[in-house]
Amino acid sequence: MIIPNPLIYFDKVSKVYSPTSIALEDVSFTIAPNEFISVVGQSGAGKSTLLKLLLAEDRPTSGKVFFESSDIHAASREELPFIRRRMGVVFQDYRLLPQKTAYENVAFALEAGGKEDDDIKHDVPQVLELVGLMDKSWHFPHELSGGEKQRVAIARAIVSRPDVVIADEPTGNLDPLNTLEIIRLLEKVNDLGTTVILATHDKEIINSLKRRVVTLEKGKLVRDEQRGRYVL
Amino acid sequence: MAMDKITFRRILKWGFLNFFRNGVVSAATVLVISLSIFMIGSVIVGSAFLSGIISSLEEKVDISAYFKTGAPEEQILALKKDLEALPEVRAVKYISADEALAAFRERHIGDEAILQSLEVVGANPFSSSLEIKAHDSSKYDAISKFLEKGSYGGILDADSSGQKKITYRQNQFVIDRLSSLLSTSRRIGFAVSLILAVIALMVAYSTVRLAIYNSRDEISVMQLVGASRAFIRGPFLVEGIIHGIIASFFTLALLYPAFWLMGNKTSALFGGVNVFQYFLSNILQIFFILLVAGVLLGVLSAYIAIRRYLKV
Repeated sequence: MIIPNPLIYFDKVSKVYSPTSIALEDVSFTIAPNEFISVVGQSGAGKSTLLKLLLAEDRPTSGKVFFESSDIHAASREELPFIRRRMGVVFQDYRLLPQKTAYENVAFALEAGGKEDDDIKHDVPQVLELVGLMDKSWHFPHELSGGEKQRVAIARAIVSRPDVVIADEPTGNLDPLNTLEIIRLLEKVNDLGTTVILATHDKEIINSLKRRVVTLEKGKLVRDEQRGRYVL
Repeated sequence: MAMDKITFRRILKWGFLNFFRNGVVSAATVLVISLSIFMIGSVIVGSAFLSGIISSLEEKVDISAYFKTGAPEEQILALKKDLEALPEVRAVKYISADEALAAFRERHIGDEAILQSLEVVGANPFSSSLEIKAHDSSKYDAISKFLEKGSYGGILDADSSGQKKITYRQNQFVIDRLSSLLSTSRRIGFAVSLILAVIALMVAYSTVRLAIYNSRDEISVMQLVGASRAFIRGPFLVEGIIHGIIASFFTLALLYPAFWLMGNKTSALFGGVNVFQYFLSNILQIFFILLVAGVLLGVLSAYIAIRRYLKV
């Protein structure tokens, strides 16, 4: 499918760790602004590698990844933070900064981007309110439950109003109720106009979302369907 | 990218906050840096004190040549001139027989028995002498030979066996031992302080590196959230500065009683030279050196250690 102005474009991307370990093979697809796209596949299918390449945590062996019109992996070390500030990221293991409170974790994303203090004081409570953690603002991560930590992580990912939120197995460590809440939150984020990329292997989630699904199998893109279902 | 004021302020804030929130790790780092600069401080004061002892001992070493009674003064003064022309000689002092007598009387003032015995002798029993100081205690042998073999042998006093009256021969053993002891202790002192300083640096660097290794996951998250390298590194450097400043105060507080204890012992051993006095009179310079060493150690260790985790 050709989209005129894609937000993200994977162009024949391969990632080869060694001849016997090929994480991604010739993967091409585009993501439009405001899309909610799920990347599914079994463990080791290449979901995490795909997201790592998008975050420039790792480089592709061949092919290119474009964010708007710029090649992410051609960006210099100085330019990279600016690209990353336009992406919010959520991990399976939360990855909050352990020495900082919930509020400070969220504020960090803005401080790193050089936002004014007044804007931070205005935006952070608003986002914490959105994820329902206003009363736990001053708790440190070790004082929060798994679901609460993940909501802080989502707040951190969306507070700088990024163009895209990338969630890598965000519900992997959560119980069904918390899983549902996190997915509802991501849908809300998408409704507010942000592109969401969700990597998961949770069948229930995919089938309840009824959004676009890209399926990876052994590093290859095998299916790309609008209103997809989890088929493996 | 030039750092703006707001970023600088945030880096300072996080440096301080992290220092306090890292409680145990901060305390351990301060302790290890203190240990390192404690060694540096002891080496500085110790080596200054050692060279103080050495030069005060060297000051005490001299040789004297005694002349026959009635040796003409102009010849002695000519010898003095010749000696002064030697490159090894630092100073020559002429003590005439009369001056020697006056000095003797001065020393024994109030001691009637000795002063009376002088009266009994009648004539001045002292001979005139030259007191010679060399630049270096190893040069006394050459000076002594110059005196014995030179053309002035005739006016030098000699004992019954014909041995010229030069104090070097009598003290030769002590002077030789002292001069080799001094040069060896200088060399050993330098080597030991160098080794200690290197060990101290390595231990401090390893500790800081371990602390930053602990934060490696945080560092990679900060990068993924879009923080610039300077914004991530800054607070660690601020922490390093705080570690160094606290460590230098702490070390000074440790050195004070240590040198005070040592001071009592050393002044008993070496007479006037007191390591505590030296420490007190140079306390500002010593603190400044400790401060610079501590802060450099803290900041440079952090700077080098964090580099490898800023690569994502």
